[in-house]
Amino acid sequence: MAAGQVRIRVPDGAKAGDVIVVRVLVTHPMEVMRLQDGKPVEQHYNFIHKMEANYNGKTVVEAETTQAVSQNPFFAFPVRVDAPGKLRILFHDTEGRTYEGEADIKF
Amino acid sequence: MTFTTHLDSPSRRHTLKMLGAATAAAGIASLGLAVPARVLAAGPALGMPQPDEAVADTLGRLFGERMPEAANGHITLDAPLIAENGAVVPIRIESDLPMAPDNYVKHVYTIADRNRRPMNARFTLTPEAGQLSLATNIRLATTTDVRVIAEMSDGTLWEAKQEVKVTVGGCGG
Repeated sequence: MAAGQVRIRVPDGAKAGDVIVVRVLVTHPMEVMRLQDGKPVEQHYNFIHKMEANYNGKTVVEAETTQAVSQNPFFAFPVRVDAPGKLRILFHDTEGRTYEGEADIKF
Repeated sequence: MTFTTHLDSPSRRHTLKMLGAATAAAGIASLGLAVPARVLAAGPALGMPQPDEAVADTLGRLFGERMPEAANGHITLDAPLIAENGAVVPIRIESDLPMAPDNYVKHVYTIADRNRRPMNARFTLTPEAGQLSLATNIRLATTTDVRVIAEMSDGTLWEAKQEVKVTVGGCGG
């Protein structure tokens, strides 16, 4: 699986004012520290350190993550929807890459 | 992929402590965390692998003197009692804490007491979220208490805690 695929699931048929739970999965190795003779093999590790979710341009939820989040990180979080719109989720990893996914929320 | 891990190697702990001390001494700190300089350019808030630390130090670093109160019923932490694979432990956090614009849950911290670096993730919520309902998968190195600490916008801390027995460690950080 290529790293950085973002898959988003939103419930169908939300109503104005509802709180919906968004589920998102991103494929990413989330490298952990490897040790040899008690010392880290490398100093640099590639893992996602930040997730941001925007709804219609407004930040709803952010998460700062460490290597203690599993490979292919999964998150579920709430969004209160007052109007139909576009949910945009961004992931940043320590290599400086950004992965992004979008989902339309329809009423 | 194979990982060679020596979870409690004293020489490694020592090396990392020295590293951490050196970095802090150089006056490089982000959010109060000592992180290697090359990563600061990219600016991850929780940084690259940090020195190992005890959970008491983590809590002290995050909250100082403030002690979280047990969130009797306000936060439900749903985690498995026994996790066969420490690399993927699903946790779910539900809460009836308010999410009004003047009083809401600002941060949610997940902390695994006996991981080498107990800090797992920090969620930052806004009143737009509507209610507190989060889920994620975390790594646990060994059988440990998992705590979830919710920080309200006024600074109040609520904590929910559960022990998860881990059969095979996830060599998590």
